Amino acid sequence: MSLTAVLALLVFASAYVVIVSERFNRTAVALIGAAAMVGIGAVRGHEVFFSEDTGIDWNVIFLLFGMMVIVGILRQTGVFEFLAIWSAQRARARPFRMMVLLVVITAVASALLDNVTTVLLVAPVTLLLCERLGLDPVPFLLAEAMASNIGGTATLIGDPPNIIIGSRAGLGFNDFLVHLTPIVVVLLAVFVGLCWLLWGRRLRFDPERAEAVMRLEARETIRDSRLLLRVGVVLVLVMIGFVTHSVTHLEPSLVALLGAGAAVLVADVPHPVYLDEIEWETLLFFAGLFVMVGSLVHQGVIGDLARTLTGTIDDHYGPAAQGLLLGSAVLSGVVDNIPYVATMAPLVHDLVGPAAGLPPHQQSLWWALALGADLGGNATAIGASANVVITGIAKRNGYPISFWRFTRDGLVVTAVTVALCMPYVALRYFVWA
Amino acid sequence: MKAAQLAEQVPMVREATTGAEAARVIAEYRLSGLVVADDDGVPMAVVPGSQLLSLVLPQYVRDDPNLAHAYDEAGADEMCAALNHATIGQLLEAKRLAAVKPPSVLPDDTLIEIASVMDGGRTPVALVIDDDGVFHGVITLSRVLAAIAAAAGQDSPLVRRRLEQDVLHRHEPG
Repeated sequence: MSLTAVLALLVFASAYVVIVSERFNRTAVALIGAAAMVGIGAVRGHEVFFSEDTGIDWNVIFLLFGMMVIVGILRQTGVFEFLAIWSAQRARARPFRMMVLLVVITAVASALLDNVTTVLLVAPVTLLLCERLGLDPVPFLLAEAMASNIGGTATLIGDPPNIIIGSRAGLGFNDFLVHLTPIVVVLLAVFVGLCWLLWGRRLRFDPERAEAVMRLEARETIRDSRLLLRVGVVLVLVMIGFVTHSVTHLEPSLVALLGAGAAVLVADVPHPVYLDEIEWETLLFFAGLFVMVGSLVHQGVIGDLARTLTGTIDDHYGPAAQGLLLGSAVLSGVVDNIPYVATMAPLVHDLVGPAAGLPPHQQSLWWALALGADLGGNATAIGASANVVITGIAKRNGYPISFWRFTRDGLVVTAVTVALCMPYVALRYFVWA
Repeated sequence: MKAAQLAEQVPMVREATTGAEAARVIAEYRLSGLVVADDDGVPMAVVPGSQLLSLVLPQYVRDDPNLAHAYDEAGADEMCAALNHATIGQLLEAKRLAAVKPPSVLPDDTLIEIASVMDGGRTPVALVIDDDGVFHGVITLSRVLAAIAAAAGQDSPLVRRRLEQDVLHRHEPG
C-alpha cells in the first residue's frame, strides 16, 4: 500500500469516527475530509467531479434534489394532513385502528418519498390526533418512525441507502420493486402485529374524546385542490418514468429532475417555498462522502479489501449474504446508514460487480446490504435520520423520547424484521434460484 | 418634544400573570406590546403583542400551519382556554415568548434619539430612565408616532389628545 493510500485511509477513518461521534456537524466533517483527500493527493479535481466510481455520484445527488423539490411543492397541498385525519375518522378514532392506518400511510408514503419528509408530515398531525384523544403520542410516533424505515426499504427512492446502492449496482426502480417490495409487504404485516404487542394492547378508547376527532374538519386542510391535482399528476408521471426506465432509458435522477421542473411549472408557487424544502446540508454531506470513499477506491484500498474478502468468501455466497445482512443491520443501528452504505457499496461492487447479469447467489449481496442497512436503522434512536427527526419533534412538543425508550422497542422490531429477511434471502437467491 | 414629555404610565404584568390575563390587558388598553415588570415594578422585558397569538398554537400547529384549518369552533375555543394554564414567567422560561430587554432613553432625549433607540431595539416601547436610574415611565410606539405626526404637520384633535393623555389615564373608570 502506498503512502498516499495509508494517509487516505487515515483521513477516512478519522472523519468516520468524528461523524459517528455526532459531536460535530457531519456535513462539515465530510467536506473537510474530502478537502483533506484532495490535499494529500488521494484524488484529483477531475475525478472528484467527472468520475462515476471515484468522485461525486451526481445520479444520487440529483435524484435526491429532484425528489426534494417535488415533495416541497406537494407539502403545500395539505394532502398528508387530510389523509391522516380522514383515516383516523375512518377508524372511528379507535386508537389501535388509527395506529395501523397511520403506520400504513407512513410506510406507503416513505416508499414513494423520502423517510424524513414523510415523518415530518405525519408527526404533527399525529400529535394533534393524540391530543384530541388524550393519548400518549409516543407509541404512535415510534411506530411511524419504524414504519417509515420499513416502507422506505421497498423502493429505489424510499431510503437514501437504496439510492446509493441503485446507482453503484446499476439497479433500477423495477429491480427494487421485484426484489424488495414483496418482503417489505410481509414485514409491514408482521410489524402491525408487533405494534399491537408493543403498544396497541395498552391503548384505551374514550368515546367522548373520540368525538373531538370526529369533529375535525379534514377537508379544510387541503387549501388548494387544483395544486394537489396538478402536483399529483406530476408525481404519478414521475413514478411512471421510474417504472418505464427499461423502455425510456432515462436515469432515475433525470426523471426526478424533469419531474421537479414540471412540478415547479404547474404549481405556480413562489420559488422560496420549494427551495426551502431542499436539504442542502444533506446533499453536501453526500458529496463529501463520495469524495472520501472515491479516494479510497482510487488508491486501491477498497480493491485490496475486496480481494482479501473474495479469498475468504471463495464461493460461499450464502453465508456471505447472511453475514452482510446481519452485520449491516448491527452496524446501521450504531452508525448512520448513509455513510455505512456509501463505504460498503464500492466494496460489494468490487466483490461481485454491477448487479445486472449477475447470477442470483452473487446478486444476493446487493439485496442483503440494502435490507440490512435499511432495517438496521430501526434499532436505535440514531440509527436512521427519520428516528432523529421524530425524537426531535416529540421533544419540542413536550414528549421527550429517551435513547433507551426508542432502543428498547427498536431492537425488537429490528430483530424480528431482520430475522424474517434471512430466510427470504436464503430461499430466494439460493434454494429457489 | 422630549422623552420626559412623552413618558406615560402603562399597565404592566408580572411573571405570575397568566397568558389569558395578559391577552385581556392588551385588549383592554389596545397595547402593541406587553411590559413585564419584576417584583419591584421595574420593567424587565417587553413582549410584542403578536407573540401572544403564538401561545394559543401548539408547537405541532406551528410546525405544520395546515393543521390550524382542521379545528372546528369548539376545538379552537378549547385551544384558547389553554392560555389560562401557563404564566408569563413560565412561558418566558420555556422560550415560548421571545421577550427583549426594553431599551431606555434619557428624559431630555429628542424624538430622533427615541426613534433611533426603538428602531434599533425593534420593540414597541422604550423606558425613560434618568442618569440616577430613576424610572419615569414608558414611551409607547403610538405615542412617539403621534409626536412625529404632529412635528411633521399632521396634527389633529385625536393626535393632540393622544399626546395629552397616557394609556392608564385614558382608561380610568368613571
